[in-house]
Amino acid sequence: MTLYPFTFQAMASTNEVQVHAATPEAARFAAALAIEEVRRIEAKYSRYRPESVLSRINAAAGDDPVSVDPETAQLLAYADSCYRMSDGLFDATSGILRLAWDFKKPRVPTERDLAPLRTRIGWPRVELTATTVRLPEAGMELDFGGFGKEYAVDRAVAVLLEQGVTSAMVNLAGDLAITGPQPGGAPWRVGVQHPRRTGAVVATVEVASGALATSGDYERYVEVDGVRHCHVLDPRTGQSARGFQSVTAIAPACLVAGTATTIAMLKGVALGQEWLAALGLPHLCVLEDGAVVDRTGGR
Amino acid sequence: MAATDGTALAALMRAALALPVLALPVRAHAAEVGEIGFALLGYKERGLMKISEPLMWGKVQIGDNWTVSASALVDIVTGASPELVSNASGTPMRTVTGASISDRRTAGDLKVTRRFGALALGASRAVSNEEDYRSRAFGLDASYELEGKLTTLAAGYGKSNDRVGSADNPDLDERRDTKEYLLGVTQVISPTALAQSSLQWSRGKGYYNDPYKRTLTFYPDADLPILYDDTRPAERNTLAWLTRYRNHDPGRGTLQADYRYYHDDWGISAHTLEVAYQWDLSEAWSVRPSLRYYTQSAADFYGQVVPRPPPEVLSSDQRLAAFGGLSPAVRLTWRLDTVTVEGTAGYYYNAANLRPGGGTEGFVPLRAYYGLLTIVKSF
Repeated sequence: MTLYPFTFQAMASTNEVQVHAATPEAARFAAALAIEEVRRIEAKYSRYRPESVLSRINAAAGDDPVSVDPETAQLLAYADSCYRMSDGLFDATSGILRLAWDFKKPRVPTERDLAPLRTRIGWPRVELTATTVRLPEAGMELDFGGFGKEYAVDRAVAVLLEQGVTSAMVNLAGDLAITGPQPGGAPWRVGVQHPRRTGAVVATVEVASGALATSGDYERYVEVDGVRHCHVLDPRTGQSARGFQSVTAIAPACLVAGTATTIAMLKGVALGQEWLAALGLPHLCVLEDGAVVDRTGGR
Repeated sequence: MAATDGTALAALMRAALALPVLALPVRAHAAEVGEIGFALLGYKERGLMKISEPLMWGKVQIGDNWTVSASALVDIVTGASPELVSNASGTPMRTVTGASISDRRTAGDLKVTRRFGALALGASRAVSNEEDYRSRAFGLDASYELEGKLTTLAAGYGKSNDRVGSADNPDLDERRDTKEYLLGVTQVISPTALAQSSLQWSRGKGYYNDPYKRTLTFYPDADLPILYDDTRPAERNTLAWLTRYRNHDPGRGTLQADYRYYHDDWGISAHTLEVAYQWDLSEAWSVRPSLRYYTQSAADFYGQVVPRPPPEVLSSDQRLAAFGGLSPAVRLTWRLDTVTVEGTAGYYYNAANLRPGGGTEGFVPLRAYYGLLTIVKSF
């Protein structure tokens, strides 16, 4: 068994698949299928591609219901569960807030910018059936940014497992999954990105199997008057999350790890940690002052 | 904190698993990990000695928290060298005697480590037996990982009770007791770089003389030469500071740089600098050339000539002289599945002129070759 790493571009970032396989051909074959699956999901749910399923749904906002395939319907059902479990903090219609938040300019949107956008947010108003979806108002938008990449990680893992790959890692820009320990039984050592120092790690976590996702305030943000406003936005207020520099969680599925960390970010330090503890997932938080709370268990 | 009731997670998982994805069990560790290894060392010091050292070890992790490791070795020493340093008419002259002895050393150790979250405690026991030397040692160590696991602190204590004898003198039975201490820190600097620094010091008491060594001096005005037994202080306190740096360049290799400073109250100060680069040629093969430079000052009581009147302490053991050394080596590693095979070939060259400013005059350059073969199987 030898470790074969593959890097590839998708979803606007550099990603990797590492596969332990007996031959380079077997590794390349399994990795190619996994990468193809990631690209399929990207094409299907990208907001930037006019022909994507997501673009079709958004284009029909205020119009007739759009019929969707089972996969999309299931993803929407997942988004629905997340909305309900988070008391509205996780809202797949909140992507519209990007119209007010331009993270390239040091400016915080005013209430006048946010108020009209908030009226276009509201998951409960989305008309969902088993085969169709309808956005009731023109200008409303669905955004799979909160779970599309995580779903792609899970699907890539499923493809690798179907190919009989027992030891592999799929890493889509920091959201990753590990299918099993390395040959010899050693766990994979995962470095968690330091929220304030590019290229540095704030902690390392050993994972023999499981999915790991990180939500942080450092990817897109503006700093105004010493206050950092990051891209994790509260759908109820339109304001950015406070209290954590980053939250990392390990779960049986990357979807769940990603949802758990996003909701924790939005809940803030006290309630966020309570939420993670209640979920019972191993997690690691970097608080506003840089303190690290490691609840990944053991070493 | 709220209690874990699992219902929130179960609901999220149920929603996720409605999609065509598979759940991965969340595990930080493999349940049981272990390895067994075998090593063979060959050493040849030009014309002087040859040692082969078959060593076996095993290590097993039991559950998440216990690790047990053990090793056993047999050293076979042939042609070890009692030696004399002599001088005729004032000029020191060294004679190497041809007497050859054969010795066998057996040794073993056992170590148990128990992990309590971020804290790990270990206890070890080591025994070593040879005809003229017997050692019994035990050690305790602790390591603690700070929040985030980027920094690991380590502390250790060791005690060794040794007995020195001599094949030539059945009456010789002397003690030597050493206590050792260690404090260390390991820091993850970046995703690919790691630094480690540790301070070790020891306090030893007892018999340090080499029962096989004598210093022989001819004075032109005397008929008989003065023969002086190797006599060293009955105490030795040492201090060593070791700093290591590792930088991994993914897909290419790993740079390793180590520096060690050593000082003891016999007057020896030493510096060791080692640089190595491991090239990962492929997933299966890697090659690691390394170069080590070493330099030390002489012990206060080192001398090749017995002065008149003879001093209280005197040794002509070359290892206590001032010299420098260069040691290039190359290691080839081959990995297949769970088996790792490593072969190392190295060369030692110790000489007086390798020490900046020059070492002890009359130091006989040492040239030695060694080879090491290691096979490790993990399971």
